[in-house]
Amino acid sequence: MTEQLAIQMKKITKVYPNGVMANKDVDFEVRKGEIHALMGENGAGKSTLVKMIFGMEQPTSGEIYVNGEHVHLTSPNVAISKGIGMVHQHFMLVPSLTVAENIVLGMVPTKSGVLIDFDKAIEITEEYSKRYNLVVDARAKVANIPVGMKQKVEILKALVRGAKILILDEPTAVLTTQETEELFKELVDLKNQGFTLIFISHKLNEIMEITDRMTILRGGKFMGVHETKDTNPEIISRLMVGRDVVLKVEKEPAQPTDAVLKVKNLEYVNVWGKKMLDNVSFTLRKGEILGIAGVEGNGQKELVDAIFNFIDVDSGEILLNGESILHTNQANLRKKGISLVPEDRMLFGIAAKASIKENILSDRSGDPKYNNGVLFNMKAIEDDTKQLIKDYLIRCKSPEQEVGMLSGGNIQKVVVAREFTNDPVLIIADQPTRGIDVGATEFIRKKLVELSRSGIAVLLVSADLNEVMELSDSLIVMCGGEIAAYFEDTTDLDDMEMGKYMLGLAKQDEEQIRKVRHE
Amino acid sequence: MNKKRALTFSITRTVAAIFIAILVATLLIFVSSKGNTVGAKFSETLVALRAMLIGPLFRNNGSFNTKGFLEILALMVPIMLTGLATTVMFSANQFNLGSEGGIMFGAFITALIAIYTPLPPVILPIVSILGGSFATMLLLMVPAVLKAKLGVSEMVNSLMINYIVMYIINFLLNTRFMDRTKGQVQTLNFQEHALLPQLVGRGTKLSLGLVIALVVVAIVATVMYRTRWGYNIRMIGQNEDFSKYSGINVPFYIILAQGLGGFLAGMGGSLEMLGRYTAYDWKSLPGYGWTGVTVAILAGNNPAYVPLAAFFMAYLDKGCEMMSTYSSVPAQLIDIIQAVIFLFFAADNFLAGYRQKLVIKSAEEDAKAANEVQVEGGK
Repeated sequence: MTEQLAIQMKKITKVYPNGVMANKDVDFEVRKGEIHALMGENGAGKSTLVKMIFGMEQPTSGEIYVNGEHVHLTSPNVAISKGIGMVHQHFMLVPSLTVAENIVLGMVPTKSGVLIDFDKAIEITEEYSKRYNLVVDARAKVANIPVGMKQKVEILKALVRGAKILILDEPTAVLTTQETEELFKELVDLKNQGFTLIFISHKLNEIMEITDRMTILRGGKFMGVHETKDTNPEIISRLMVGRDVVLKVEKEPAQPTDAVLKVKNLEYVNVWGKKMLDNVSFTLRKGEILGIAGVEGNGQKELVDAIFNFIDVDSGEILLNGESILHTNQANLRKKGISLVPEDRMLFGIAAKASIKENILSDRSGDPKYNNGVLFNMKAIEDDTKQLIKDYLIRCKSPEQEVGMLSGGNIQKVVVAREFTNDPVLIIADQPTRGIDVGATEFIRKKLVELSRSGIAVLLVSADLNEVMELSDSLIVMCGGEIAAYFEDTTDLDDMEMGKYMLGLAKQDEEQIRKVRHE
Repeated sequence: MNKKRALTFSITRTVAAIFIAILVATLLIFVSSKGNTVGAKFSETLVALRAMLIGPLFRNNGSFNTKGFLEILALMVPIMLTGLATTVMFSANQFNLGSEGGIMFGAFITALIAIYTPLPPVILPIVSILGGSFATMLLLMVPAVLKAKLGVSEMVNSLMINYIVMYIINFLLNTRFMDRTKGQVQTLNFQEHALLPQLVGRGTKLSLGLVIALVVVAIVATVMYRTRWGYNIRMIGQNEDFSKYSGINVPFYIILAQGLGGFLAGMGGSLEMLGRYTAYDWKSLPGYGWTGVTVAILAGNNPAYVPLAAFFMAYLDKGCEMMSTYSSVPAQLIDIIQAVIFLFFAADNFLAGYRQKLVIKSAEEDAKAANEVQVEGGK
């Protein structure tokens, strides 16, 4: 049996140096000559698993077999020598070089050992291109070719290096429908020529279309392996997004009043030409938590960026208390009372090398309370920081401690301590509890509910289904940049049904979706 | 890592870098020293090293070298200011290297004001200094504005500005402002009442400039750590995305930091002119700007440590001068020592293993402390 397996991973556990457990006792088997899907939500541990197959990460424990041979994949070079190739989600190509040059990079053919043999490079490229029916223009500069062709260059790169097992990390994420179809045809071709393909995706439809089998991961754990033909999207979506433990948050029913944030017909096409916001309209009222659910990458990030003026939308309106806030700089947005708990806390939420005190001060350094004319009132700053450390249960040695030295949960508490205490009228909480411990998670969730009940409008964006369903008073589901569903009441929501909207298997009718505008 | 360990680490690192630099210098002195036998070379090396390391403060007979000490203090003035300038700009993560041209520009503008403006005593030196400082502020804001508005690298621009400044000043000096009654290329003499009062005898050229420079150090340290402007400058240096998100006006502070840097560099030139010269005669870049970069790096971009770092650099400078007087080793050796110190400071991973050990030690202690707290809490 074993020799039929191209890849066999036994009891793989991976703990990153920062303490995050990305995989726990995962078994993963790929047969020779099949297209095998690896499925799961963001953060389910798919990328970590394939990175270990390609030698980019090493497992903390567990064993890996390639073609029946027990291997230690210590680097991508070792993996390549075992016949494994990987096409990364973000292309690893040199834009200023030609297609042929990219393909031979690192194994350049030479004339008499010195000069680069460009003709030979083109010859190699064209030979492989023909053999595997992957049409590329060998002489074109990579910067000038379309995305679909770049992907073929990546595949060729792996094939030229002798790959028999190909890993494709979300290959369709950047492709148009036509390009996707073309890619699928090519992948099936490769399979028929005896290649083994590992295909990562969270798009159900395409998985059903081309794969033979699929392995599902959730929260870093193995959720089973299935023959594609014996299964259906409902089963898979339940396995993918099903809820584990339900953390209950006590909350009284919301009594929303006036509209605080009005978003009207927002449209945004990103630099790769993909439509990320498609006619998004909703109204958020005082005293309610409006949740935005969805698989990541379906426009939630762009929506938050649009409100906080990190991107310029193509059309549409954003109103705060009736006043347009498009193209308003962040200082003024904050003056108007918008707070943001950013998705990427290390990049936007804090300055890691600065002290807790300095991190709290960042949005209020001009506050008259902290300035005696010219100089800072150091005592006031110190006292308030100490108070916040107490109120927000930030575990630290002193206000002077470097924020980067705290644990993830405590770093996030520093962020929310700042964002929740600048007299906001609107709090945008983008993945507020991602990757932090249970205690901090519970604390932040309770705070959010408390603040909303005190009359603040809260926009909660979260890929954590449990979190949005539990915290939100009403809920939007985003899929493909559109609002796919709106639920006025979240009490009796069924996560199966949610899953369908999240994965694009269903969409509510216009009338229901329009209700979120509260017009 | 706790504060004490962090301090231990930076002191160790500083001492190690300086030690290695002096070691390299010793090797070079040995190679370049005269003498036919190894023994002769060796004794020459000892003479040179003694002159370099001890000479500035102690004469050969062991008595204190007052003149040398005062000269070191005088030499500190320009490099303290370029050091401060660099500190402010580097704190904002702006690699503006224009303080070299800036100090020359400030010196030239101050000279012109001190020569040509009919102002009364006291007012004239003040106006001259501020004139030179503000003019240089505008000069260094050119790369800053280009960076803030168009995203052009401030490093390349500021470097090139140095040479533009130098050649324009040379052109003006040779054509319009040269004093043709003198044998050398220099301007007319400054008006007598423009000169800064000397603290001691005229010979050492130690002027009131030192006091002004120390006051400026205190002001800059206060601005950087006790006001919102300094805070915002440091925050954009730490994390620009975070600053923007927090509502800090990033382009404004990019420009402010470099403007402030320009002001300080220009002031360095002004104090140098009115404190130690009677007419302007710089025809090439003075090198104080480059030394300022080393000073800022030695001081860890903290204005409070700038005087210490400046003293060290001035000491080395004086030492190398003494060495070239008493031995056959050229004074330019200081550039090599500077370069070596610079190299080891710029290398993030220099002594990284030692730092890692300290970090682990701290982490273990923290974990232990946390356990103890829990135990106490459990009682």
